[in-house]
Parts: sequence; C-alpha cells; structure tokens
Amino acid sequence: MSTEIQKLVLAVPSKGRLQENANNFFKRAGLSVVQGRGARDYRGSLAELPGVEVAFLSASEIVQQLATGAAHMGVTGEDLVREQLADPASKIEILTPLGFGHANVIVAVPEAWIDVRTMADLEDVAAAFHARRGARMRVATKYVNLTRAFFAANGVTDYRIVESLGATEGAPAAGQAELIVDITTTGATLEANALKVLEDGVMLRSEANLVASVCADWSPAARAVARTILSRISAEEDARTSREVRAFVPRPQEMASEADTRFGARALFGFAKDGPLRLICPAKQVAGLSEWLVECGADHVSVSALDYLFSAHNALYEKLAARIG
Amino acid sequence: MTSRTDQATQADMAARQGLIVAHLAQAGHGRAEPPVLQPADVFLDLAGEDIRARIFLTSGAEGEELCLRPEYTIPVSRAYLASPQTGLVASFSYLGPVFRQRAGGANEFVQAGIESFGRADREAADAEILTLALEAAEVAGSGPLKVRLGDAGLFTALLSALDLPAAWVRRIRRGHMRGENLAALLAPAINGVGADHSGVLAALEGVDKKGARALVEDLLSIAGISSVGGRSAGEIADRFLEQAAMKSSAGISADKRAVLERFLAVSGDPDKASATLRALARDARLDLTAALDAFDARLGFIAARGLDVASLAFATNFGRNLDYYTGFVFEAHRPDGEPGRPVVGGGRYDGLLRRLGAAGDIPAVGAAIWCDRLFADGVKA
Repeated sequence: MSTEIQKLVLAVPSKGRLQENANNFFKRAGLSVVQGRGARDYRGSLAELPGVEVAFLSASEIVQQLATGAAHMGVTGEDLVREQLADPASKIEILTPLGFGHANVIVAVPEAWIDVRTMADLEDVAAAFHARRGARMRVATKYVNLTRAFFAANGVTDYRIVESLGATEGAPAAGQAELIVDITTTGATLEANALKVLEDGVMLRSEANLVASVCADWSPAARAVARTILSRISAEEDARTSREVRAFVPRPQEMASEADTRFGARALFGFAKDGPLRLICPAKQVAGLSEWLVECGADHVSVSALDYLFSAHNALYEKLAARIG
Repeated sequence: MTSRTDQATQADMAARQGLIVAHLAQAGHGRAEPPVLQPADVFLDLAGEDIRARIFLTSGAEGEELCLRPEYTIPVSRAYLASPQTGLVASFSYLGPVFRQRAGGANEFVQAGIESFGRADREAADAEILTLALEAAEVAGSGPLKVRLGDAGLFTALLSALDLPAAWVRRIRRGHMRGENLAALLAPAINGVGADHSGVLAALEGVDKKGARALVEDLLSIAGISSVGGRSAGEIADRFLEQAAMKSSAGISADKRAVLERFLAVSGDPDKASATLRALARDARLDLTAALDAFDARLGFIAARGLDVASLAFATNFGRNLDYYTGFVFEAHRPDGEPGRPVVGGGRYDGLLRRLGAAGDIPAVGAAIWCDRLFADGVKA
C-alpha cells in the first residue's frame, strides 16, 4: 500500500493522435509507456523505470488531476490549461512545449459577414445586433473562460455564450449560434462550414506541453523519479538539437573559446593531447561552424549526431524544483 | 467559533437591519421575499457574459442554469411581473443575503432596499425612493453620506436632439457606460473601417437602402456564399451604409462635438447645473426642455421631502455601470468609504420590465442599501 502511494503519477492522453505523439515523445527519451492488459486498462507503467504509475486520461481530465495534485506530471494542451484554471501558475508549472498537438483557439464568423474582419467590427456588430433584436449575439464554444477573457480585452460585451461540447463549427449553420470560438488545426473544417477567422481573432496558439503539478505530494521518491524522467527527456532533446563536430586545428583552446562566442559550440569534453578538437554545437550552427573551422586551417571536419547528452545541470528539473521547494 | 464580541456585533447588525426594513415598511412598502435561486439566463442576458465570473452558478434537475441571486432588483421585478399586480402601482421592500464571487473576500452580503413599479409621477417617485433610502440608512446609524446624482435621461435627450447617425449614438452610449472619455469615444476610423472596405463604401456612395442591399447580395453571390448566418443581407448592407456615413462628413461635426464636450463637463450643485444646461441648450439651439423640466421637478420634490439639494453632487458624466438604468441614478458613499463601494445606490429603470417579458415599458425606480458597508467597523463588503 505505502509503495503505491509513493509512486509518481504521470498522466498521459488516453486516445488518438495525442496519445501516439505522447508515447513517441517518451519513447525517444528511452521510456516506453506500457498499458495494462488491454487497451481498456486505464493504468500503466514505464517499462524502463519503476516507481511510475501512468494514468491514461482525457486531455481535460489531465488538467484537473494536475490542478488537484492527483497526478505529478502530465501531457496536455495549453488551451485546456488556460481554459480550466483561473490562475494556472498557482497550481501547475509548464515545463516544456513538446512540438506536437499544435492548434489555435480562434474566433470565427460566417463568411457572409463581409463587413466583419476584426474584433472591433465584431464589437460594433454585436452592439447593433443587441439593439436591433433585443437579444444578444450567441457564441458557441467549449472555451467559456478563454472567450470571456478575450472578448472583454477587446471590449466586446454584447454576446451570450452557448456551451458546445462537440461539432461547434456546425452551430451557426444549425441556427444555434451566430459565431464560434473553437480550436482549429488546418481551417478546412471552418471552410466547409462557411466560416472565416477574424484577422485579430487568434486567441491562443496552443501545443501539447509537459506540465507538472505544484500541489502533488512530492515525496523524496517522487522527486527522484521526476528527476530521472526529466534528465532523460533533456538528454534526448539536447542530443537531438546538438551535433558533435570534430577537426584537427592549430591552437585548439583559443579556437574553442572563439567557437563558443561565435556559434555557441563548446568543448564539453576538454582537450585531448593528440586527438582532434571535439565541440558540441547547436544543430543549426553546424554549417557555419564547419566552414569557419576549414577557414582556420582544418583539413577535414566531421559532424555526427548524438543519441543522448546527459548533463549534471538539468534545466527542466531545476524549473520544477524551484516551484516545489 | 464566534467570540462574544462577534456575537454582540452580529446582534447589533441584525437589530440595525431590522430598523431599516421597519422604516421602509412604515413608508408603505410591503416586504417581498423572492427566491434565493434564480434563473441564470436572466442575469446573463441583462448584464452580459462578464457577470458569469461574478455569480454563483448551479444547475437544476433538468439541466437549467440557476444562480444565487446577485442582487434584488431583477428577482423583485420578476415576482411583480408574475403577480396579478403587473402593470399596476405597487412597491416592495426587501432584506436578505445576495451572493457574489470575489477572489479572497466575503461572498455573501446583506442588502436591504425598495423597488417601486407603475407610478406615472416619475419625478415624485424618484425623489421618494432617494430620500427614503437615505433616511433608512440614517435610521440604521450610517452617519452622514456623500450623495452623487446623475441622469441618463438627460444624456439620451441630448443624443437624440443632436440627431447623430445611429452608429455614433450606439458607440457613444457604449463608451459612456464604460466611463471612456469623449476623445476616445470620438476617435475616427475605429470599428474596422479600414482600407479593405473602401471599395465597397465608395460603391455605396449616394446609394439608398434598397440599392445597398442589392449590392451586398451581388457581392455574396459573386463570392459564392449562399447561406448568411445570423444576420441578413439587409443588416450587412445597413452596416455598410452606417460605416459610409461615419466615414463621410455626416459623422460628428465640430459643433456637435463641442456641445457634447460642454455637456459632459457640467457638474456640481444640481440647481446651478440645471441653469448651465439650459444655457447650453439655448446656445446650441437644441430642445432639451422636457428633460430639464423633469430634472427641475425632481429637485423640487427632493427639496420638499426635506433634503438640502445644494448638498447633493450632480454630474452629467455620472452613470452606474448597468445598461438598464434609463433616467435618474444616484449613489451615496461614506466620507471614508472606498470608491466603487457605495452604501446606497439606485435609479430608474423603465425599460427593464419589458426586457423581462412585460408587454411594454413599466415605470420603475429602486434603491439598494449595502448593510455591510454602513459602518466603518462593519464587514468589508
């Protein structure tokens, strides 16, 4: 019983592309998400790391579990974090964006409203609508809080929210609302429903994030496991975004110091007496660094990818540690 | 656990609240007891979605959205509308808790007040409600209060006399309610009138409503848009015409702008303000006689009820941040009170009952007393 309690609970999406992407993300860090006996089992583990209980939940449940501290860490969209939590910073810490699950929360009106291009237009039209019909314009959305905050910031007050938990983009055609606030990835669904996004109507550019709970029970065991997970994630990310560059050059120590200022390339492993200079360089700077090394007298420059780059200093864990004390 | 002094304070508060309702009842306003649970829809419709964050929402067995009453005016109005007295003269007093969400503060406050319906002698009713509410606060031991007056009816009369395009009237009203200054209100080319629409606006020059509508329908069919959601082609055409009017010289002339500026700068002693406004109307050749006569008549009734009119602070730009007030508005603050937290507040809301479902407008005026704000040592409400 007590060992159960000390496990770190990692909440991951239970279905769809988000689940696939999240599993791939952990896989890249050398962590395999293992689901219980069948696809219907809602608890699992990480094959390589004991002390972790994986909870398979819907993306919005993940936010709730993180906010109440029932889960220690989780993968969820920023849109849901901002929608569901009035003061996200008090409950959770967004550790890092994950590069998938991109989607924008947008304001869209019927294409036929050719006189409405901006939120300022919408404000005017909403007021006229209210004055003319005696009823407020209806906005269909599941993002009640985001909508309220964004509309208030743009001075739009004459509207009512119609909560919509599915197929929001169909609400105007069905006569349930005049406009919508919804999440969109490509805009194709909007187009199919004869809706257009207002020019300044992008409320939030969201993607999936690794999020930590500030209120969970961060026992020493949970911290240790979190540190391991985050160091593997960092090691993979650092490796993926870095390259190892080797070359024989004159005056390697001076060159290394200049390579650092010019390209952010660093001699992490020191200077071998008879070996080449080895630099770890941001992937984007590799071409520039290599050309510069040749100019400075290197006959050959080799560049290789890394699998993992572990470091004593782990920015992700430090970010978490700063919040949980 | 409540301490002995807390208990004493609570008993004292209850006694003072009792004095307030007794005073209101004595003046002939019988007690109304509307339900604590109210349909949320009504409040959201009248006050907008912004209020959603400030009320306590719950739902009924059939999924209908309910809220704990955040105030009494709407609940008492609904009870009046549902009663056989609808449309007749009737007035009510009330006392009880109202509920509002506040980060890190109390959520439950005691309000007392009066609502008066159906009286055609509006100015006399305005004066009675103001003086009665102030007396009730005094009976409960409020001490001297600073009273501010405004008149939404005067501003409406001015906007109508200035004969401005409808879009301007809407914009000025909206901004005025939000407390924006005139310069921001009258800034040119907001509302998205940009270069993008100039082609359409140019094509609309000199075109009448029918022609504008035909043009919009043409534009939509050229773009291959068949369904028009929510708004008709006619409404879209009307808006283009309004925009064209706002863009052209038919907007706000320097003269009219100057009149608005002068009007909104008037404040101080109500009698002197009235004289200033009459002079302004004469200079600008605007007929504000009816609105100003009503204003003066109200001051007469207030004086007749024994209140020193010169001690009241009137301002043309004083409004209460609720769009259902249509006329006289007022607030009373403790001299040491925080701004935005009046002890007494109220006004005339002739349009509210129609918006709540009455067949037409019904004259109505009311006032609320925030019992928790009456005393310096009271609960901060």
